[in-house]
Amino acid sequence: MLSDRLRLRDIRSTSTFRLTVLFGVIFTIGVAALLGLIYGLTAHELNARSDRILRLKAAQLSEIPPAMLVQRLRTELDYNTSALNYLALRDRSGRIVIGNIEPPSDLRLDKPVDIAPRPGLPRPLRLLAIRTDSGETLYIGRDITPFADLRQRVLAILIVSGLSIAALVFASAIALSVAPLRRVRDLQSACREIGAGNLDMRMPILGRGDELDLLAETVNTTVEEVGRVVAQVKQATDAIAHDLRTPLTHLRNRLDRVRHDGRLPADLASAVDLASADLEEVLGRFAALLRISEFEAGRRQEAFGPVQLGPLLHGICDLYEPLAEDGSIMLSLDIGMDVTVHGDEKLIFEALSNLVDNALKFTPPGGIVGVTLIRDETGNRIEVRDSGPGIAADERNAVLRRFHRAADAAEIPGLGLGLSVVAAIMHLHGFGLELDDAHPGLLVRIRCPIRQDTGQHVPTNDDRQ
Amino acid sequence: MSRILVVEDDEPTALEISTELAAHGHKVTRVGNGTEALDRAIREPFDAITLDRMLPGIDGLTLVSRLRERRVMVPVLMISALSDVDERIAGLRAGGDDYLVKPFAASEMAMRVEVLLRRRTDPAESAILQAGAVEIDLIRRKVYVDQEPVRLLHLEFRLLEFLARHQGSVVSRRIIFEQVWGYYFDPGANLINVHIARLRKKLDRPGRPSIITTVKGEGYRLNAV
Repeated sequence: MLSDRLRLRDIRSTSTFRLTVLFGVIFTIGVAALLGLIYGLTAHELNARSDRILRLKAAQLSEIPPAMLVQRLRTELDYNTSALNYLALRDRSGRIVIGNIEPPSDLRLDKPVDIAPRPGLPRPLRLLAIRTDSGETLYIGRDITPFADLRQRVLAILIVSGLSIAALVFASAIALSVAPLRRVRDLQSACREIGAGNLDMRMPILGRGDELDLLAETVNTTVEEVGRVVAQVKQATDAIAHDLRTPLTHLRNRLDRVRHDGRLPADLASAVDLASADLEEVLGRFAALLRISEFEAGRRQEAFGPVQLGPLLHGICDLYEPLAEDGSIMLSLDIGMDVTVHGDEKLIFEALSNLVDNALKFTPPGGIVGVTLIRDETGNRIEVRDSGPGIAADERNAVLRRFHRAADAAEIPGLGLGLSVVAAIMHLHGFGLELDDAHPGLLVRIRCPIRQDTGQHVPTNDDRQ
Repeated sequence: MSRILVVEDDEPTALEISTELAAHGHKVTRVGNGTEALDRAIREPFDAITLDRMLPGIDGLTLVSRLRERRVMVPVLMISALSDVDERIAGLRAGGDDYLVKPFAASEMAMRVEVLLRRRTDPAESAILQAGAVEIDLIRRKVYVDQEPVRLLHLEFRLLEFLARHQGSVVSRRIIFEQVWGYYFDPGANLINVHIARLRKKLDRPGRPSIITTVKGEGYRLNAV
């Protein structure tokens, strides 16, 4: 059974999630490329502007006669109020003649470069070195801190927006996946019920006309058709069973009269007995088939009323105890707390008798058959457990169908309809019927819903004391 | 010889019932409609009636109700194609004494008629039932074999009481299950067999034939002597 809770693992595997994430990743890459391009162009433009300023300044200073250059530089430095511009003049011996920075001496000439702060260079600079006519080296620098800040901000924006988009994509993928996944769960649950044999079940249709609605409609049409065919087959089977019962009964009655006539030789009498026994078996099968049909048609609910399971189980164990003793099997009954259910007492007795009878049939001498009535927060349960060979997991559903007998049941007498009758009675009552492994043996579990609407008092052990 | 009124409009079924009951030594009167059946059942002293549920004229349920209203307490075996337990309950509530579903084994029908006849002739006030060496004290719920007390469980006592009330007659497993346990499904032959075997073990005495005889393919009979 599916859990109603949606787990991230389930959501992650949906097509919607994967497609949304894929589109999100492509979108994120596109946005990142665009922002990267903007960033690159901005950085390039800022550098180009700095370089133009530096070259313009260099051109102005180059036109000044060498003798006046130092004086001019001093004036420039004195009036450098913005603290954006930096200048330095290095003579041929490599000594700084004047300047507000001490640039490295190995700079390539006429090529602006970025220089990180260092001793003698307090700020990050774009620096251009040129050779004067007198052979000195003139350094013209411009503080690029605002550009670096701008670049940092653009980079931060890139990272933050990238992460935000990724988170948004992930959240959108989950949000978009949940509703379809819930829908698929509903469809899957309906499908499972149909697969379990409930051909009255239909896939839910929301009326949106989307692909899931189309699929559900197709499945519903198919199930309807299958249901119609199954009903026809069942009707035909029931009709055959019903119509053949009367002539077969007449036949058996005639055989009985012939047998009791007393004029038959012994060998013929024994042949007639065998024929009567065979007819009895066929009539038994027909009767069982018709009973199952009657239960499945739900015609028996008029006889429903409160049924106390405790005394009913005691009655069943009293009935089967001699059979258990005869087969050297221990039959135990454990009733924690009595339970009252709504149902047909005769039918519940018949179904539970059938389960106990089955358990005793399949349990070897020395084995145990246990009947338990449990009432807890999950509801009411009746469990019939045996220590026989059990039923293989892949056969447990099949044995509830008509005429199916477990592979290793060939030696055990029976019509192969007992569990089908039980299943039909349980279905009529709305009780759950599960077959499980008793390690070893078979565990049959019946879940009886707790009725909230009756207001009936359920007797307890305390009441009886 | 008992007089039985067979009320059945279906000719082959009526013939089958009559033949079987006649084979058991009863005098059979056949009637095909409800109105005539009611008239004759009131006027004539029958020992038992087999009554079809669906009849022309007056239906089976109304017929048995009218008989009871007129204090005609002849035992009635209702016979019907309606198999629901609800139908059985309706038949018994209307005044029927037993209910048999069509199609039925003729021997089963005859056994049920025998059970009804036996019930009719039982001295209701009798506190002691005697069957050969077995004595059953119905008031004190005690059982004696050759005057020696035998301890029986509650269900064993009910089983013995039922067999003793019909001593000498064969009763099928199904009738036993219905009358002793009160349920209307086939519990399988083996289950009733072990209950009978248990009872035999407590009642039988060495060197003597069993007090309960198994009649192959039919059921059991508690021997009267």
